[in-house]
Amino acid sequence: MTLTLTRRSFTLGSAAVVGLAATAPLSRAQAMRTDRLNILCWEGYNTDDVLGPFRDRHPGATLRAESGTSDPDMINKLRAGEVNVWDLINVNQPWARGQLYPEGLIKPLDQDRFLPYFERMLPEFTAPYPLAFADDGNLIGMPQRYGPFSFVVNTDKISRATAEEQGWKLFLDPAMTSRFGILTYDNWNIIHMCLTGDLNPFKPIDEAGFETFQKTAETIFGGAKLRTDDLVAMNTALINGEIDAYFTGGTYTASPARLDGLTNIRGITPSAGPIDGKGGVVWIELTSLVNNPDPSSLAADFLEFVQEPEISKAVGFAEGTYNPVSQMGDPAVFDLWDAEELDAIQWDTLADEMSRSVEYDVVASYDELSKMYNAAKRG
Amino acid sequence: MERLDRRLGALTATPMLVLLAVTFLAPLIVVAAFSVMPSKVFSLWHQPDFSAYAELLRQGYWKSLAWSLGMALASTAILLVLCWPLAFAMAKVYRRFTLILTVGVVMSLFVSENIRLFGWVLTLMKGGLIEGYVRHLTGVGFDSLLYNVPIIVFGLVYVYLPFMLFPLAQGISMVPDDARQAAADLGASRARILWEVEVPLAAPGIVVGCLLTFVLATGAVAESKLLGGQVVVVIADEVETAFTYGQDWPLGSALAMVLIAIVGTIAVIGVNRVDLDAIMGRRR
Repeated sequence: MTLTLTRRSFTLGSAAVVGLAATAPLSRAQAMRTDRLNILCWEGYNTDDVLGPFRDRHPGATLRAESGTSDPDMINKLRAGEVNVWDLINVNQPWARGQLYPEGLIKPLDQDRFLPYFERMLPEFTAPYPLAFADDGNLIGMPQRYGPFSFVVNTDKISRATAEEQGWKLFLDPAMTSRFGILTYDNWNIIHMCLTGDLNPFKPIDEAGFETFQKTAETIFGGAKLRTDDLVAMNTALINGEIDAYFTGGTYTASPARLDGLTNIRGITPSAGPIDGKGGVVWIELTSLVNNPDPSSLAADFLEFVQEPEISKAVGFAEGTYNPVSQMGDPAVFDLWDAEELDAIQWDTLADEMSRSVEYDVVASYDELSKMYNAAKRG
Repeated sequence: MERLDRRLGALTATPMLVLLAVTFLAPLIVVAAFSVMPSKVFSLWHQPDFSAYAELLRQGYWKSLAWSLGMALASTAILLVLCWPLAFAMAKVYRRFTLILTVGVVMSLFVSENIRLFGWVLTLMKGGLIEGYVRHLTGVGFDSLLYNVPIIVFGLVYVYLPFMLFPLAQGISMVPDDARQAAADLGASRARILWEVEVPLAAPGIVVGCLLTFVLATGAVAESKLLGGQVVVVIADEVETAFTYGQDWPLGSALAMVLIAIVGTIAVIGVNRVDLDAIMGRRR
């Protein structure tokens, strides 16, 4: 017997495989309809500590959580048609109100079910938190993790008092040349470079402002020793003395190093700045219901589930980064944090830093600033 | 009969053609279509205005393109020189040791590129394996070896070595020993044998190796991010930024199209110059 593979038999075989593969999604689609929940989120909600207990309560459900790398990246997915895929989206505060809700990508939450949770949150959120609402008064997201986000220093090299007092100008100081890094969270850097140039990024910027921004961006990129979008690499460089500070960072980025005992790594909120005297910025994540045409009833259940004390703690203390959660206003949640964990999230100064920070918002002149920023980055 | 046969042939090939069209061509067509759309739109139902290409010229993206192409070219040239002796030994000298070497090189591919590069970061950074030991032993420390252009090229060479080595070894194995022997008997020097016998006969392997490494290195982004500390911004990074932070799909698509056009042209020219059938095992 001869063993030959002709082109025709190869093509025929391939056709059979393709045919089988083409029918595969049909069976999967049927499985999806019964009981499933897909979550698009920042890392933390996708850990076993959070998903495990929910799976135990809903043994028949298929649960999938995918973490994104940036807010715009996650929003892109919904825009590209993945509203059919996801049931929940977790992004920072301005997007729900500014883009997701107006574009019909998310839908309102049941106020009777979710408003009572605001009463047990930290004072900053009990009002309740304004950005969780759309202009039409609908509740469009639940706040949970948050954190001041400005810059990070090694307090052995630059004291906290000096850093807070100098604020953003620290990075324009010629003495700091090649002593700092830039964490390339580009949308954050644009905000922070405006603040460095005494500009309010959340209001439209004029020609003179653009000129200031351009100079600021060029000075900061020119003085930086390294740039990376990896917070671990940035903390490592800070710990081993390669740099003394990094531009753009906060509790979110400093906490992993702090929990390891390196409490000289500290997120700094400037004591003064150009927006009503404030120079810091705070991010607050909102989790919203995706406007999925084939909605999953588990989505709202999950949103309620993450308000529970143990789960709130698991979300705040997920692997990777550690962050305060708005639910810490409830003693049952707060008591779950030990002294070291509270120190990792800089609890001692958190309320004070929040009072010196403005809300992260959509940058008014983002397109022009983004072009200048990228040109400065290119060198 | 023959016509029926041909029609049946076309019919059986249809699923394959459809699969290729859907999985390979369709995404490219979508990117191409987006690239001519006006700035910042998220659907294809707009009047094309090619503004993204104008923006691309205005905003100095050529710098990133030049860095990517330059570093890819440098790493390809270094890899060719570096891999030639090794590939020669694998094809002609090592015999059974070749298998061990192959397994060793292939095994490195089992570990994610990012993890391998981060291993190098830990080795080269200040207080890392090298500087830490030197400082411990001599008391004299130095700055980190990271965050410069040569280290990015080093990263490219390190990551893409297998993609040059194996095609090159395959190419060199096609050079008949008799041809080299004959050239030597006729008095050709070692250099002349290399230049006039080995290189032309191993050309398919050289071209495939160079194309693979060059194309992959042009689109590489992790090396400049992890090892280079983004001391230069590469074109793949710009594409990513345009799609995500920039929220400008047409600009990202235009950048991608320019890259595809340049790399595609180079690939077509390269492939046309050699007999690829030879390396696929069909001898004539």
